Amino acid sequence: MHLPDHEFVKPATLADSLALLRSASGEIKLIAGGTDVVYNMRGRLFQPDILLSVRDLAELQGVADTTAGGIRIGAGIRLTDLEHEPRVAAYPALVTAGRAVASRHVRNMATLGGNLCLDTRCWYTNQTAEWRQAKGPCLKNGVAVCHAIKSASVCVALNASDIAPALIALNADITLANVDGERRLPLTDFYTDDGVTHTIRDADELLVAIDLPAPSGRTVFIKETARKGNDFSYAVIAAGGEVAGQRVTGLRIVLGCLTTRPLSLQEPVRIIETRGLTDEAIDVAAAAARDELGPLTNLYTPAAYKSSLARSLVRQALRELRDATP
Amino acid sequence: MAAKPEQQLSIIGRRQPRVDGFDKVTGRSEFTDDIRLPGMLYGKILRSSQPHARIARIDTSRAEALPRVKAVVTNRDAPDLMFSEHQHVLAQDVVRYVGEEVAAVAAVDLLTAEEALELIEVEYEPLPNVTTVRQALKNDAPCLHERAPGNIGPTMDQDWGDPDRGFAESDRIIEDEFRTPMQHNTLAELHVALADFSNPEKLHLYTPTQGAPLYQMELARGFGLAESQVRIVYRNIGGAFTGRGRPKPHHFVAALLSRKAGRPVKIKATADEEFIMFRASGETLYKFRTGVTHDGTIKALEADITFDAGGHDEWAMILWLPSIYLNWLYKPVGVRYKGRFVFTNTVPKGSHHGGIMGRMSAGWQQHITRVAEVLGMDPAELQLKNAVDPGYESPDGSVFASCGLKECIETVVERSDWRNKHGKLPKYRGIGIGIGAQASGSKGADNDTSAAMVKIAADGVVTLYTGIPDMGQGSHTVMCMIAAEVLGTEPEKIRVVQGDSDITPFDWGAFAQRGTFTTGNAVKAACEDAREQLAVIAGRELDEDPASLMFRHGRVQSASDPDKVMSFGEVAAKTLHSVEGRFVMGRGFFNSPKPFGALAFSFGAQIAEVEVDPETGAVAVLKVWAAHDIGRAINRLAVEGQLDGQVFSGMSQVLYEECKVEDGLILNPSRLEYKLPRTYELPAVDYSLVETIDPYGPFGAKEVGEGPIVVSMSAVAAAVQNAVGALVPEIPMTPWRIKRMLRATADGSTDVGKHWSEGLE
Repeated sequence: MHLPDHEFVKPATLADSLALLRSASGEIKLIAGGTDVVYNMRGRLFQPDILLSVRDLAELQGVADTTAGGIRIGAGIRLTDLEHEPRVAAYPALVTAGRAVASRHVRNMATLGGNLCLDTRCWYTNQTAEWRQAKGPCLKNGVAVCHAIKSASVCVALNASDIAPALIALNADITLANVDGERRLPLTDFYTDDGVTHTIRDADELLVAIDLPAPSGRTVFIKETARKGNDFSYAVIAAGGEVAGQRVTGLRIVLGCLTTRPLSLQEPVRIIETRGLTDEAIDVAAAAARDELGPLTNLYTPAAYKSSLARSLVRQALRELRDATP
Repeated sequence: MAAKPEQQLSIIGRRQPRVDGFDKVTGRSEFTDDIRLPGMLYGKILRSSQPHARIARIDTSRAEALPRVKAVVTNRDAPDLMFSEHQHVLAQDVVRYVGEEVAAVAAVDLLTAEEALELIEVEYEPLPNVTTVRQALKNDAPCLHERAPGNIGPTMDQDWGDPDRGFAESDRIIEDEFRTPMQHNTLAELHVALADFSNPEKLHLYTPTQGAPLYQMELARGFGLAESQVRIVYRNIGGAFTGRGRPKPHHFVAALLSRKAGRPVKIKATADEEFIMFRASGETLYKFRTGVTHDGTIKALEADITFDAGGHDEWAMILWLPSIYLNWLYKPVGVRYKGRFVFTNTVPKGSHHGGIMGRMSAGWQQHITRVAEVLGMDPAELQLKNAVDPGYESPDGSVFASCGLKECIETVVERSDWRNKHGKLPKYRGIGIGIGAQASGSKGADNDTSAAMVKIAADGVVTLYTGIPDMGQGSHTVMCMIAAEVLGTEPEKIRVVQGDSDITPFDWGAFAQRGTFTTGNAVKAACEDAREQLAVIAGRELDEDPASLMFRHGRVQSASDPDKVMSFGEVAAKTLHSVEGRFVMGRGFFNSPKPFGALAFSFGAQIAEVEVDPETGAVAVLKVWAAHDIGRAINRLAVEGQLDGQVFSGMSQVLYEECKVEDGLILNPSRLEYKLPRTYELPAVDYSLVETIDPYGPFGAKEVGEGPIVVSMSAVAAAVQNAVGALVPEIPMTPWRIKRMLRATADGSTDVGKHWSEGLE
């Protein structure tokens, strides 16, 4: 299927891009590596008037040390470069998560910012326009119908980013910019529970950078897929914390791809921080994870499996966190 | 002619790289989509968005008015053009599945064709629909066809031998149920048809195919032409796996558009449309029943199979194919087979790699494994005890002139260390055995003919004319090896002319694993004919009895006097430039002398070892041991490639592949969401070839084209069954089904299949 008609613009600077985002009439879609946007435009999921390329903006490139001892990563960094960037090596969960995305070919094009903004996925919607006709439009097209959960009033399409959970577990912040200035917020607050407007990014804003605090403690990242590579995830988990024997503080456990947003678990964290990383406590924490996931869909995998996979991943991640050699 | 003593084979049995390999890997090979004819238009098909509806109105006027659109067709253009007995090429009044062909356009470019499609207005009046077999069989289910009350289509009900006596003589009767879902072949090359019907007296159709004759016959029937008025042209083919056996609606649509526009029209599937065009295999429900005595003698076998036919019964052969497996592996007193088609509002169904037999076998061989367990026998011992022997005549009248099944079983048992593993592996590890048989060619509704011609130029270059397509299986390399062996030259010196029904001799094509056996015999006969012609002049030149000459290593020489020798090229030149001026042309054909069925049967056994991850439910295939009686390996490299490919595809069907269908719509019509493993998930394969040298095969060869996958599917399934401790009643054995099995068997239950209901998801 050919791309729908659109205007393609590629401003030379960040300032020009932000100005255009504010002033342009019609719908604008941002494109960086294009690995998701182009595919979805072919399926008529997006039909923007303007495609604004931020791929080569110098302001979005590079990795720099921060005064806090951490690093600031430009949102435009290609995933392949992310893997090889020496400063990033201090955050192994991020490297592992970056490498888990799709294939080498895709990672050569795809950017970190693009991965964090990946559109949510649903197998009723992520089809060609012709295919979607059979079931008819849904919340993604502005019609109050959800094919995945009949009673849903908001879109329940799944978050698709492998990297977001890893960054959230690393306590990452992001910076959004518009012509008026910048705002910085924890990445975990970037996402919403609505698959249509699944981030809080305003239409005139651009994700420009990701900030990581100084590396500390241990982190783990696990991806479950149908096959060993080049695939969206059934589920991912990232966890991090200061581990001393069975004691752990500052624990973060983040599940991805099971729901509309990456989910930072609360009760399992409380259980482990209180009781320590014993086998018994890990089992209790894993069992508690299900309650925080909310309604689960049958998208791509059955709901019952999603909940069993969440339990199993929490168990695996916590054991790895405990047993990893420091 | 002097028969070549077997020990003197110089080409057959070697590891021969593909004759078309270099062009393939350098991108030089031409495929149908590479062909562009002058004035060619691009066609697109408008498909039904409804699972079941009456077409109230079609308005094509806006599409027709679009500049650069050259033809728009609906059923009104060809109300009598039938795809099958009851099925119009373009839907007439009613559509019966999402994706049914409703209208089509041809335009000067693809973008215009796509745009025109959107301008066609179709008004549907929805009808109640049924999209699963269970729904379709309910008493109050809407009926798809008046001719099929209760949605029951064609059925088959047949006994071979005396199954009633067999069951009566049994001490135990074991029953199991099994289900396979809709699955799809995901061919490397998408479906494509380029029709040039601008001259209404001759239809040229360029398309990948398993064989030209059926395409000629069916298109000639459809358009009221003589078969010679239909020319089928094909180039390289990116896989077929039963999917290119006969024309599909898009072939007819391309021809119809071309006739109307007066220009050639190409229709190529999009990636998701491929899932409709292919007509893959559908949901199938199986009931197995086996009667056995206490000592493990199988007395009677029964299978009762319900097939989802989809909206139309396009391919009746599916109905009887599974019955052959009940007949060919063991020696029961009798076999009972029941099959029925059920109509649903889903895409019409065809087959999948491994025929219908692979899918059935994933359940049936688990069932046989369970029979062994019920008796307290080792499953491999049960297989060995009951396996057929050479000379056996099966209940359906097949005679196994060569048969190495028992040796195959013994080989894999030995090589896999089965006796130290079965029942002794750690928890969540499993080992399973599967066996299978397959025919080399088959005579059914029509004959089983292959013909071949060779010409030999004065410089010794051999040109082989064959109608057998090479879909990737390496058939042309095998034919070149056979020709080179007979003529004493090298495979690289044989040129293959193929792919044009106006030029190449008749060949049914690559069906029923008949290529090596049937076409191979035809090529061998054609080359022997040519060799006989060469020997006349060579004998005169060398003053030798022509019958005593040896053709080897590019030379023709006397068997008794090594000094009497000429080069192969010299003989060809002398023959042409002799007084008689003979030009060497050999012809040959082969057709089984049997009135029905097959002449040769291959056999195999495989053992798979798997590991189940109790946390995620994922299954890893650790290793597969494969032993196959293929008569003789003509090209050992290709045989190993076939084994790798079939183990891979078999594993894929058992563990991964499933079309997720809801309300008749396939939800995962892409290679992203239709989960196939990657090539690096291919397990290690240990190959053993059992060469029984079949009396009818060319140089003793039988098939290896589809036999192994059936065995792979059953071995992998039985290994998972062993790992989880119960028969797994459904494929694919996805992580969620395995998790469910593990929960169900946690209390020691080994009989969870009976309580397995739909609605897991």
